[in-house]
Amino acid sequence: MTDQLVGAATAPRPDRDQDERAARRTAKMRRYRRLGVLTAGWIAMVLVWELGSWWFGSRLLPRPHEVLLEAVEIIESGNFVTDFTASVLKTFAGFAVAAGVGAPVGYLMGRFRYWQAFFHDGVTIAGTIPAIVYAVMSLIVFGLSNLGPILAVALVSAPYVALNVAEGIRGVDKQLITMSEAFGRSPAQIRREVLIPTIIPFVFAAIRMCFAVAWKVEALTEVFGGRNGVGFQIRTEYQLYDIAGVLAWMFLFIAFMLVIERLVLAKAEARLLAWRPEERSAAL
Amino acid sequence: MSTMTENRRRSTTEIEESTSAWRKRLTSDGAARVAALLSFFVLWLVVSAVFGRVPGPVEVVVRLVEEFARGEVFGNFASTLYRFGVGVALATVVGIAVGVMMGLSQLSRAFFESPVLVGLSIPAIIWSFLTVMWFGFGDMSPIVTTFLTAVPFVIINVAQGVRGVSRDLRDMSSTYNVPLSRRVRDLVLPAVTGYVAAGVRFAVIIGWNGVLLAEWFGGSGGVGYRARFWYDANRYGGFAAWVVLFVGFIVLLDRFVLDRAIRRAFRWRDA
Repeated sequence: MTDQLVGAATAPRPDRDQDERAARRTAKMRRYRRLGVLTAGWIAMVLVWELGSWWFGSRLLPRPHEVLLEAVEIIESGNFVTDFTASVLKTFAGFAVAAGVGAPVGYLMGRFRYWQAFFHDGVTIAGTIPAIVYAVMSLIVFGLSNLGPILAVALVSAPYVALNVAEGIRGVDKQLITMSEAFGRSPAQIRREVLIPTIIPFVFAAIRMCFAVAWKVEALTEVFGGRNGVGFQIRTEYQLYDIAGVLAWMFLFIAFMLVIERLVLAKAEARLLAWRPEERSAAL
Repeated sequence: MSTMTENRRRSTTEIEESTSAWRKRLTSDGAARVAALLSFFVLWLVVSAVFGRVPGPVEVVVRLVEEFARGEVFGNFASTLYRFGVGVALATVVGIAVGVMMGLSQLSRAFFESPVLVGLSIPAIIWSFLTVMWFGFGDMSPIVTTFLTAVPFVIINVAQGVRGVSRDLRDMSSTYNVPLSRRVRDLVLPAVTGYVAAGVRFAVIIGWNGVLLAEWFGGSGGVGYRARFWYDANRYGGFAAWVVLFVGFIVLLDRFVLDRAIRRAFRWRDA
């Protein structure tokens, strides 16, 4: 009896160990292979770049290490900090305006049929207008000032925010509203406790969705007529025909914006929505 | 008690009957659209009154008519459309090829992942600067800019569509020995065409921005060149006239061609 038990307990062990080890080994192999292919992708990109700069000549397309040196120089000189903070602040100010305008519009669109018909065409058309139009338009309105990029970012992002919030409002649990009404909650209470918490994830999803577009539009507006910021620096370098400088500023900006997206936006969202993990993952 | 609830909550037909005809007409969808148009015009008038540099509707219409009378519209539009069409067509073909590869195999996805990510994050303005320097003032730089800005979006959409083909259905069709031609026709194509159409729609919107930017800085005719001409001349009415022209064009294209094509392609799923 005990023999049997011991036998039953020990017999499958080495087998399972082996299986586990084999599975772990294949998983490891797969991970290494994926990593290898991933680096192959990066290497291919650098090779294409090198080939291009050999083809066009390094004046028209500087080689990767030249751009890297230029980027290091910009970082060491330290004047990237003011430009970056200027650009980032303008982007976020534009987002604030977009959320302030887009969220109420989206609320109306989601809540009332009339406002849905009223805003629908305008919002969809605003979403298809090319970014260059917004950039030049905000310059015409505000001239050379910091308000131009803010307006451009707001104009680009507001339609997304409105559409997303409208979608969110339509997705609000109807039973929750019915129950609140049945228990005699006032409309203001329902709005504050049911509707607004429901749309916050959608506002965040919209902002994260158009963040990649927004900072590009912000830089574009600065290229056309800014007095500071990354776009302004890119234009200055371009006017000096310093393509290495243009590319260095661009790559620094891309890296910086990716970091901001990952750290600031994702963290802020996780923090604000920590109380509803499952909706958060659904809203993304 | 029952009368109270009846007073508070009327049935939809009762509400329907009690609202008067003019009120129904005023709150209809059509009226809402007209009201939206009117308020847009009022807003435009107010903005152009407040900011002296913003051209009003009348000035824009006058400039538009002038531009037509000068015969600048059709030639410039045709050259822009040619560049845009070639760029988007190339982006679609290459995007579908790479996207299908990325959707089908894990390894090619790992390979293309970072290039596509980098491509997505490079702004169109940089491409237009670079291509204008590389290819000079001609058709080449707008075409390449359109292609390069649009292709990552097509790739991402197509790859998503290919990965969405149901594995169960794929396994089942191989179990029952369904011939490959039927498998492609009945399983892969319906699942992918919608995503391809959505990707092309993105490509059209993004690529249009690219072509305009390249023409703006390139200066070899085209819509972007003409818009810049008026902008540089400080005649913002001319610029706004061109904006109205090409935004109208892109909205019509989006609404009547692309949107319809997407709905057709997704018909089997939404029905």
